[in-house]
Amino acid sequence: MSYIVSYCHITSNKCFINGSLLDISNEGSPFIKNIYNSLGIKYSKFHKMDELAKTGFLGVELLKTSLPELANFSDDKIALLFSNNNSSAITDNNFEKSYKNGGSPSPALFVYTLPNILIGEIAIRNKWYGENIFTISKTFDPNYFVNTSNILLQKKSNITVCGWISKSDEEMNAFFFLVGKKDLKQLNLPLNSAELLKLINPENKE
Amino acid sequence: MITYIGSEYINSPLANSAEDNFIKIKSGETAISFFKSKGINKEDLYLAKFKEPITFYKLLSQCIENLVLGTIKDILTSKDTIIFISTTKGDIEQNMNEPIIHSAASLKKEYNLKNEPITISNACVSGVLAMNLANSYLKAGICKYAFVIGADVISDFVLYGFQSLYAISDEPCRPFDNDRKGITLGEGAAGVIMSSDAEIFKSSPLEFVEGTSSNDANHISGPSRTGEGLYRTIQNTLELANVKKEEIDFISAHGTGTAFNDEMESIAFDRLGLTNVPINSLKGFFGHTLGAAGIIETAISMQGLRNNCSIKSLGYENKGVSGNILIQKDNIEKKMTTLLKTASGFGGCNVSAIIKTI
Repeated sequence: MSYIVSYCHITSNKCFINGSLLDISNEGSPFIKNIYNSLGIKYSKFHKMDELAKTGFLGVELLKTSLPELANFSDDKIALLFSNNNSSAITDNNFEKSYKNGGSPSPALFVYTLPNILIGEIAIRNKWYGENIFTISKTFDPNYFVNTSNILLQKKSNITVCGWISKSDEEMNAFFFLVGKKDLKQLNLPLNSAELLKLINPENKE
Repeated sequence: MITYIGSEYINSPLANSAEDNFIKIKSGETAISFFKSKGINKEDLYLAKFKEPITFYKLLSQCIENLVLGTIKDILTSKDTIIFISTTKGDIEQNMNEPIIHSAASLKKEYNLKNEPITISNACVSGVLAMNLANSYLKAGICKYAFVIGADVISDFVLYGFQSLYAISDEPCRPFDNDRKGITLGEGAAGVIMSSDAEIFKSSPLEFVEGTSSNDANHISGPSRTGEGLYRTIQNTLELANVKKEEIDFISAHGTGTAFNDEMESIAFDRLGLTNVPINSLKGFFGHTLGAAGIIETAISMQGLRNNCSIKSLGYENKGVSGNILIQKDNIEKKMTTLLKTASGFGGCNVSAIIKTI
């Protein structure tokens, strides 16, 4: 039996852990930078990431605050399942601009033109060597996350770190959750599609 | 429960079936050819490119139609069928803002599919990862039939990107060779059918035993110096598959032809004690076809298992990696039963899978 252990959200101007709104300012710097500052992290690689990777990175940092025991899990038993709707489209556009009209293609942008780079950033940050899968779907696919988490937990993984990041120039809705197979003394919500569809809306509290 | 794999199909600039591609590369033909002034600064370079331009969507639909021909049962529109799509950049040249997802939706509509296709976009490991995921879905009983298809086309976007990293070779790529200078880009598509039912295949299937993935947790675009992720995924796959390293007849490696990637692979294989197992990279025949690569190379290796022949590593002459490994200079013809397929990619990802004859 698999459980949703905890979850969090990042939107364009709000941030929640297990449905509770965090007190993070939306003024001064970009909101994503304010989340970073509020977590008290010092990680220089963060500043060179693209927006997709920054969002995924912070989602996982928030999940870590919701389950401190995550640090004790064996480094190759933590699986990373991430998904979005537009691959690396924002960075793709920026990379294309770098060489259109006679410019030189930017290698620093090119390396972020693959969406799974965000999984790499999370793995590097946490020294996690487990399973990695990045998928692309038009909308959040709860069945995929339920089925794939269940499968990985039956194989070699002890926990799956899941994330859906729907992002465009105008708005963002990112939903992150942990799925574990035994009682981790957190929320212990049953893992099923209906539950995930309920939780994906940050205003729906459990 | 056993996962059967078969009906392999390849569309490359060389030929439009797995059998014909296998026959041609076995005789030494390559899909790579010379292109004048094709680079960002009008450099001459080598590519494995179709004579007539073809779209990502067309490649995917050809895969589906050819895979159907390899079955004796009408499974495409079954509620028990899932299509797994592997790609890195999909239709980016046509659809910069929403690449990939429209193709999955169009396939569903055109072929009256009952389930949403699952699209894996995980850099150069996407193809093997898609087969691994399909295997897990089949073994868990989530579906009975899986069409696993992968495609990528050459675009200025990807070519210029790899040029910006100084990763494009000015001669056909030479994986694992001492004089290797980088990758040669390729385009193409491939597919396999995987199923828990052996009876659906026109030709007898093979067994897809197990597959896993592992991250290097080291660098987003540079492979680990110790080959950690590749080492761990192979170890995990062998354990889950209950296969001893002595049973592996040949390894279809990733072998891109870049200095760091090939070195990393050699270290991982050496650390695992896979020092006497013949290893090839098929990039010298097809170039690096990114999201299609894992499935093209698996399909060729499946033909190898069927025909008891492991294809040589084209472009390899003198060993240029520090790991103690055996790169194939020539085709090897002997009884083959067990294949190890591996791939590694940006984002630090590594995958492996074991396929056996039945």
